[in-house]
Amino acid sequence: MIAVDIILDGAFAAVAAIGFGAISDPPLRAFPRIALLAAMGHALRFCLMHFAGLDIATASLFAAMSIGFGSLALGRQVRCPMTVLYIPALLPMIPGIYAYRTVFSLVMLLQSLSDGAQELRYMQAFFLNATITCSVVFMLAVGATSPIFVFKRRAFSLTRRNRRQVKNK
Amino acid sequence: MKTTQELTDILDFAAEFATYMLGSGVHTSRTVRCVQRIGISQGVCIQLTAFQKSVIITVRDDESREVLTRVVPIPALPISFERNADMGALSWDAIDDKLTLEEIRARYDRLVSKPRIDPMFVLVTVGFANASFCRLFGGDWTAMSIVFTSTLVGLAAKQRMQAHGMNHFLIFIISAFIASLCASASLRFPCTSEVAIATSVLFLVPGVPLINGVIDIVEGHILIGCSRLMNAMLLVFCIAVGLSATLLMVKDSLL
Repeated sequence: MIAVDIILDGAFAAVAAIGFGAISDPPLRAFPRIALLAAMGHALRFCLMHFAGLDIATASLFAAMSIGFGSLALGRQVRCPMTVLYIPALLPMIPGIYAYRTVFSLVMLLQSLSDGAQELRYMQAFFLNATITCSVVFMLAVGATSPIFVFKRRAFSLTRRNRRQVKNK
Repeated sequence: MKTTQELTDILDFAAEFATYMLGSGVHTSRTVRCVQRIGISQGVCIQLTAFQKSVIITVRDDESREVLTRVVPIPALPISFERNADMGALSWDAIDDKLTLEEIRARYDRLVSKPRIDPMFVLVTVGFANASFCRLFGGDWTAMSIVFTSTLVGLAAKQRMQAHGMNHFLIFIISAFIASLCASASLRFPCTSEVAIATSVLFLVPGVPLINGVIDIVEGHILIGCSRLMNAMLLVFCIAVGLSATLLMVKDSLL
């Protein structure tokens, strides 16, 4: 049952990544790799949060790093830079529910200014959700970008043909 | 040694190449590297400084020590990962195959005139994507189907408004309002309506400028990174405004 949950989580993340990626006009050759990276990253975050007890921001950091390293490994085959593969793969990990609760708390805060207890409750909920949303988005971007700093030369030459192809030309 | 005319031609092409890349949603350091490769392939040194709306680009011929500089506006283009990848590949080919400026220009013209992804395909895949997203947040099948429909309506409205050249802040507010209003139909069904309303607007999240902004900042291009983040935050704020309008109408049913 747990395995089914993990696989379903990965599968839905893959569909989400393909759809959100399609908005940004990626090359068709990149789609299978985007789906694979999104499934791997989201399933990893699911496992880290449910089985290792990590919080959402730390789990997102590790999942984003795995997507970053994955895009470094898969980019050369399709001559795509890392960002083309990892940005769509990261999108299913955007903490939408927390973002929604931030907006909802703000609306309710402004609607309950005359009620002191409610006001404080919504103010607290607003800051809590806004902090989680911003932390997760920042961790996602930093985690996926970090492999560039470690493997600079490889990351900067993913769109180059390999040496054999250049020599044969 | 380059003549002034040759140097001007290289500068004009490099400026067009750089602004097209930045306009298509490529982060700054990658644009700089790709343009510098074009410069190396032509035997000149290129440096550029990028801002949100314009680029200052300089070409220098080391032999004659002649320097030319231009300030070029960045066009507002739709984000395109395909052009991002192809232009990077072209910059490497320019070095590896020792292409002339005419050959690079011809290949550049071919790749920028390639057709973009079909809007109908985008509409349907984004619908499925948002429905899957709803599932990831714990939504049930009813909520997923409502989110699918809301996304189709919201995105179709966005595409039509973009085709009419409306202000993009207004487009985001109206699309978020329409999508969340459609999703609020979920309140009439026994389903996870909070998740449905929350997810319905997420197809609008400007993921590329958000992530590019963070990449630019961590790579030291702090000015343009902050500009990109500010731009993305304005769009997020517009989504929040559109969503708030719906929430004000249905808040009592959500409490």
